[in-house]
Amino acid sequence: MTFYALLFALASIGVSITAYLINTRAKQEQPVCVIGKDCHVVLESKYNSVLGIHNEVFGLIYFTIIALLCSFIVIGIGNLQWWTMIITIFVSSAAVLSLGLIILQWKIIKSWCFWCVMSALVIFCMEIAVLTHAFILHV
Amino acid sequence: MKTSAFHVLRVGLAITFMWIGILIIANPVAWGSYIQPWAQDLLPGSLRSAMLVTGMLDISIGIFLVFNAYTWVAALFAVLHILVVFTTSGINSGTVRDIGLLAASMAIAMHAWPDRFKFWEKKKKYGSSIPDDSSAF
Repeated sequence: MTFYALLFALASIGVSITAYLINTRAKQEQPVCVIGKDCHVVLESKYNSVLGIHNEVFGLIYFTIIALLCSFIVIGIGNLQWWTMIITIFVSSAAVLSLGLIILQWKIIKSWCFWCVMSALVIFCMEIAVLTHAFILHV
Repeated sequence: MKTSAFHVLRVGLAITFMWIGILIIANPVAWGSYIQPWAQDLLPGSLRSAMLVTGMLDISIGIFLVFNAYTWVAALFAVLHILVVFTTSGINSGTVRDIGLLAASMAIAMHAWPDRFKFWEKKKKYGSSIPDDSSAF
């Protein structure tokens, strides 16, 4: 239960970050850069979308799915083992993708976006939780 | 309140409300046992149905808070909801925690309250337009 509560909380933080970025883009405003000044450089770079859909939209869908799966498990909808396996695959894939996006900011764009880094940190924390949970189950 | 502090409080409270709502839906009868017998007698339907509605209300409040949409309305509902919880469950081990949630909800409602509904500020402006007699001396 604690594991799913933690994942749900992290997913909710991710939802709030991505919803903020979608909202500022829709209003054509600059997001508040809490640390640094280069958020707009990253968010307006040519790497900001895939197939015409902005990365933050993918992020919102991803975090919402994780939050929904955690709530399904706690409420008891569907197969717990299947949902846990899907969460593990989703979180691990997202962690690899986030690492790639961090390297992209560091080496290619050479600018840092506070909200993108925060989102990646949330996903890394999720991955640590998933790995810890898997380790505890197998010991 | 600083804007960043407001958002930290908003997201934290949203997570709490959504998770409590999920826990209530997962086990409505167990959560219903916190309600005092006199309050259970006032319910129009079954205790289980009432708790399921409560769970959905909690989740809805959390969703509005996390998306920062109609935040003041969501926070106002949160305040009213917690006051109802105080009334119907009485004083127990969870009351101290509920006081914190009530204060947090009130802080968010006060911060996000739209300017057009700040009737007390209009009064303040009207009050300041009245000449101060003491300045004549």
